Amino acid sequence: MSIIEIKDVKKNFHNLEVLKGVSFNVEKGEVVSIIGPSGGGKSTLLRCLNCLETYDSGSIKVIGEDLKEIKDMNSFRQKVGMVFQQFNLFANMNVLNNCIFAQTKALKRNKDEAKKIALENLQKVGMEKFINAYPNTLSGGQKQRVAIARAISMNPEILLFDEPTSALDPEMVEEVLNVIRSLVNKGLTMIIVSHEIDFVRDISDKIIFMDDGIVAESGSPKEIFTNPKNERTKVFLRKVIRN
Amino acid sequence: MINCFKMFSMDSRLLEIFLNSFTRILIPGLLVTIPLTIVAFFLAMIIAVVVAIIRFANIKILKDICRFYVWIIRGTPLLVQLFFAYYGLPKLGITWTSPFICAVLVFAFNEGAYASETIRGSLNSVSEGQIEAGYCVGMSYLQIMWRIVLPQALRAAFPSLMNGLIGMVKDTSLASNITVTEMFFVTRTIVTTTYEPLLLYLEVALIYLLFSSILSKVQTVIEKKLNAQVGK
Amino acid sequence: MSLNKCLEIFLKYWPSFLLGIKTTLFVSLIGTIIGLLIGLLVGGLRAINVDDNSSKLKKFLKKIFNLISTLYIEIFRGTPMMVQAVFIYYLVYTNIIPWDKVVAAIFVISINTGAYMSEIVRSGIQAVDVGQKEASRALGVSNIDTMLHVILPQAIKNAFPAIGNEFIVNIKDSSVLMIISITELMFQSNSIAGTTYRFSETYFVTACIYLLMTSIASFILHKIEKSLSHTTTSLPQSDTNFSSISLAKEENS
Repeated sequence: MSIIEIKDVKKNFHNLEVLKGVSFNVEKGEVVSIIGPSGGGKSTLLRCLNCLETYDSGSIKVIGEDLKEIKDMNSFRQKVGMVFQQFNLFANMNVLNNCIFAQTKALKRNKDEAKKIALENLQKVGMEKFINAYPNTLSGGQKQRVAIARAISMNPEILLFDEPTSALDPEMVEEVLNVIRSLVNKGLTMIIVSHEIDFVRDISDKIIFMDDGIVAESGSPKEIFTNPKNERTKVFLRKVIRN
Repeated sequence: MINCFKMFSMDSRLLEIFLNSFTRILIPGLLVTIPLTIVAFFLAMIIAVVVAIIRFANIKILKDICRFYVWIIRGTPLLVQLFFAYYGLPKLGITWTSPFICAVLVFAFNEGAYASETIRGSLNSVSEGQIEAGYCVGMSYLQIMWRIVLPQALRAAFPSLMNGLIGMVKDTSLASNITVTEMFFVTRTIVTTTYEPLLLYLEVALIYLLFSSILSKVQTVIEKKLNAQVGK
Repeated sequence: MSLNKCLEIFLKYWPSFLLGIKTTLFVSLIGTIIGLLIGLLVGGLRAINVDDNSSKLKKFLKKIFNLISTLYIEIFRGTPMMVQAVFIYYLVYTNIIPWDKVVAAIFVISINTGAYMSEIVRSGIQAVDVGQKEASRALGVSNIDTMLHVILPQAIKNAFPAIGNEFIVNIKDSSVLMIISITELMFQSNSIAGTTYRFSETYFVTACIYLLMTSIASFILHKIEKSLSHTTTSLPQSDTNFSSISLAKEENS
C-alpha cells in the first residue's frame, strides 16, 4: 500500500477550477518533486495533503487515512510535517522555543526531551548557535533552516515542502537546499514543490509535472528531463533550463 | 429580579410617560444637540487643519504653541474643560452670554486638538515625492498644500475624523452639567418630576444610539464612495 | 486668578484632592484591566473563523455570539458613558441590590472599556499573519493552544499602544462618573469649588492634576511599549555577524 494515494482530486476556488482530476501515488520513503508553471495547482494540491485546503471530489489517502474521514485532525497532522514558502516561524518565540512548542503541546513530550530533540535537529541544520535569537533577527535562509528543524523535530512520516526557496535571496538558496538534501535517505517520505530544477533532478525519485490543474507527465528524473513526452513539459523545461 | 421585569412590563402610566417624553427629549436633540455638534465640529475642523499645517510645516514658536495646546487638551478631561470655561473663566473676566456658546467653543477646541493629530498623521502619509513634483511644476508651498497634499490627507483622515464626530454627539451629553438644555439635561429634568429614571435614561440612551448609528451608516456609505474614487 | 491662590487651595484641600486622585486611578486602572479581560474574551471569540467544514452547531453558535457581541459593542460605543452610568446604577440599585457606588463605577467603566477593547483585540488578532496560525495547525497543535501561545501574545503586543491608550482615556473619562457621586477627582473638585467659590482656581488645579496623571501614564506606557518592541521590530538583516550581535543582546537582557 502506498503512503499517499491521490485519486481524481478536483477543486474549485469560486469559479476557477484549480485541480481538474489529479491522481498519483507516493511510496514510503520516496522523494517526489512537483514542478510546473505557477498557477498550475501545485501548492494547492500540497496543502490538501495535510488538510490546510479542502478538495471538492475524488479521494486522498495519507498513511492509510481518508482525509475526508479524519477524526483526530491534530494527531494526523503531527505525522505530516510542512515547510512553508514564507517560513511562518512563530514571531513571539525564539528559535529553540519554535522547535519545542509543538512537541510539548501536540506530542505531549516533556520539556527536557523536547529540548534535546530540538537541539539535535537545530544542529543538523546548522542553527544551534542561534537558539536564543528571535525570528526577526534572522536572515531568510536561517529562518527556513529553523522551520525545517521545527518540522523534523515532530518526527513526521511525511514532510511537505511548499516552494521552500522561493522567498529567499539568491545567495541563500543553496544553504537551504543543502539541508533538504541531507534529509534524503533517512526513510522520510518527502514531497517537494520547487522551481529549483537542478536540485529536484538531483534528489528526486520521481518527478510530477503539473500544469493547468492536471498531472501532465510523471516519471523518473531521467525520463522527464532527458526525454519528455508531453509537449507542455517540453515547453516548460526549455524555458526554465534556458534561464 | 422580579421587579426588573415589572419595570419593563409597560403599564399605561409608564407608556404614557415614555411617549410624552419621547418628543420632549427628541426636540432638544434636534434643536440643541445636533446644531451644537455641527457648529462645534465645523470650527474644530478649521482649528485642526490650521494646527496640523503649522506643525507639519514646522513654523517656529507657533509650532510650540500648537504642541502645548494639543498636550493640554488631550491631557485633561473634557468635563474639566467645560467646568473651567463655564464657571472659571467668568471670574477671569470672560463672560458667556449663554452656556450654549461656551459649550460650542469648548467642544470645538477639544475636538480640534484630537483632529489636528489625525490630520497631521495623514499629512505625513502623503508622499514627499508629490510635494517635490509640485515644486517642479512651479507651484508655491501654499498651492501644493491646498491643492495636492490636504485633499489627500483629509481623505485618508476621513474615517478617524468621522469617529470624532460620532464621539462628539455622545460627548454633548456632558454639556448638561453646564446647564445647556440638550437631551440629557432635559431627561434629567423630566426624571425629577416623574421619578422614572430607568425608563427615561433608557429612552435617551436609545436616541443617542439612533444618532450615532445613523452617523456610522453615513460614514460607511461615504467611505465606500471615497474608496471607489481612488479605485481601492 | 493667581497661581498663589491656586497653590493655597491645593494646600488647604489636598486631602480631598488626594482622595479624588486615588479613586480616579483605582477606578480607571481596575476598569481597564477588567475591560481588557472582557475584550480578550469577546474579541478573541469574534476573531475565530468558522470554516466550511465546521459542524452546523458551531456555525449556529458563532452566529448567535456574533449577533450578541455586536449588539453589546454597538450599544456601549454608541451611547454616552454618563448615560450608561446613571442607567446601570439605578437599574441595579432599585431592582437587584443596593450596591456600593465604587463597585458600580468600576462595573460601568469596565463594561464600557470592554466594548472598545473587544474591537482593539479583534483587530490585533487579525493583524497577526495567517501563516503562523497555519504553521501551528500544520504541526498538529490544537486551536486553543495556537490561540493562547501563538496568536494572542502577538496580538496583545500589536495592540499594546491602543490598550494603553484606553487606560489614559479612562483616567479622563472616569470624570463623568461624578454623576453617580463617587469620590473621584472631578466630584471632589466640584465639592471644593462649591465650598470655596473659587471656580477658576479649583478647576485649574484639577486640570493640572489630570494633566500630570495622563502625562506620567503616557510616559510609563511609552517605556513599556519600547521594551516590548524588541521582538517585533523587523530589521531586515541578512548578514550573519549582525545576527550574532543581536543574539548576544538577547542573552544579556
